[in-house]
Amino acid sequence: MGAQPSGAVAARVAALAVVAVFLQTGVVSEVPIFGVAIDLTPLVVAFVGLECGSLAGAVAGFAIGLLVDLTLVQTLGLTSLIFTLIGYGAGRLRELRDPRAALTPLLVGGAAAALSMVGYSVMEIALGVDAPVSFELLRQIVVGVVLDTIVALPVWALVHRWLRPSLPEDPRRRRRRAYTTGGLSPLSKA
Amino acid sequence: MHDKTVRRRRAVLVALVALSLILLTAYFGESPNGRLHDVQRGFLTVVSPIQEGANAALKPVRNLFGWFGNAIHAKHQLAEVRRQNARLRAQLLQHTNDELAYKQLLRLQHLDGGLHLADYRPVNAEVFSQSANLWYQTVNINQGSSAGVQVDDPVIDDEGVVGKVTAVASDGAQVSLITDSAVAVAAMINETRAPGMVYPKVGDPNTLVIKYLPANTSVVVGNYVVTSGTISAKGASLFPRGIPIGQVSYVGEEAPYKSVEIHPLANLRGLETVQVLTAVEGSAPARLAKVAAELPTQQSSEPGSTEAGSAGGGGQLASAGGGG
Repeated sequence: MGAQPSGAVAARVAALAVVAVFLQTGVVSEVPIFGVAIDLTPLVVAFVGLECGSLAGAVAGFAIGLLVDLTLVQTLGLTSLIFTLIGYGAGRLRELRDPRAALTPLLVGGAAAALSMVGYSVMEIALGVDAPVSFELLRQIVVGVVLDTIVALPVWALVHRWLRPSLPEDPRRRRRRAYTTGGLSPLSKA
Repeated sequence: MHDKTVRRRRAVLVALVALSLILLTAYFGESPNGRLHDVQRGFLTVVSPIQEGANAALKPVRNLFGWFGNAIHAKHQLAEVRRQNARLRAQLLQHTNDELAYKQLLRLQHLDGGLHLADYRPVNAEVFSQSANLWYQTVNINQGSSAGVQVDDPVIDDEGVVGKVTAVASDGAQVSLITDSAVAVAAMINETRAPGMVYPKVGDPNTLVIKYLPANTSVVVGNYVVTSGTISAKGASLFPRGIPIGQVSYVGEEAPYKSVEIHPLANLRGLETVQVLTAVEGSAPARLAKVAAELPTQQSSEPGSTEAGSAGGGGQLASAGGGG
């Protein structure tokens, strides 16, 4: 069950979106590694969804995508479409599976990066942009996914720390604590 | 309750996706001056100053990351620059070799067309005796083999061609003048470059003749005759190209050839100082002299009836214009 978006959460997500976009355009994009720049924005969207749920993830994805398109003067609606789906998907993963494994942010971050790059390329080709599929494009996608996966854990840590205080207490976490200390244990009910 | 949550979630998703598609379609379909483009430009106008400020504030961070990135790139760039350097060095060496080969070919070309004074090592010599016999026009000079003088070395003075060395001693040599029957010089009319062979006129030590000039050769009295820098037969001398021999004093029409008489420029009866053009071992004239030594012997036996081996220069060594 996902967290309901509140005013505090919305404010923090908005601030996070602005910082992420400015950081991306001002610093990260200008430091290519192996010819490819790290893309923080799909990671932030995915982790917002993973932290706050599908609704918050979808809205955050739409907003961050729109902000990216406006800032970089790209085709309006393209990035927001892809990020909406990423945020929603990450949120649904959290609502259905609630993964708490340490590698979850790594896998989710990698998947988000892959979906973002592949989805963007597919949409651009579908829109008729003259960008023939080539080995170089494939190389950039693969390297980009690898780089984003590497930075996924630190980004997750920052997003989690920033959003955690504004999120309500997770009932399932309370139930787990109760299960181990007593009170709500099935044995106590018996 | 659960259904309501699910419906709301799906509705929001559908709404956002639809909105994205509408934006995408509208933006893609409109002109660059459309409303959405204007909104985008307006947003950029508002955000640009903030972005510039943020970039300036984040510049140290960017530089730090850039330093790491450059350090990672540096090794690859160093290898690339080294490869490029090696490639350019090889090209430079190739070009230098090509340039040297070109210059050598150019020198050979000059040699084929005629030797130049720079190809020789001149040795100054004084004339200490001269033959009085009209049949044999020779002088003796005070430089010999000890000074590098060799048989067949050309001899000139400041006026022009004098003759060639025909005998050598250690400290002296005999020079046969161009008016001697043993000497034939490959020449050309300076103004028209028409080639010919210069021989002495029998019985007249002050006159030379050019034989075997084609009838249509343009030559007039006053034209200068110079060496052509080639040889036509064994025994002929390797005179550098362009050394004056004489001036045309008479042009006669004797079909199918023209008969041209030349007055020699050098004062052959009052020689005092001459210059022997010796060939340094290994130089172009020396190499050419060795090749010339293998040419067929000139077929001339009687004075006054000197005939060159062949008018067409059958044994001509890289003639500048053929014929002779």
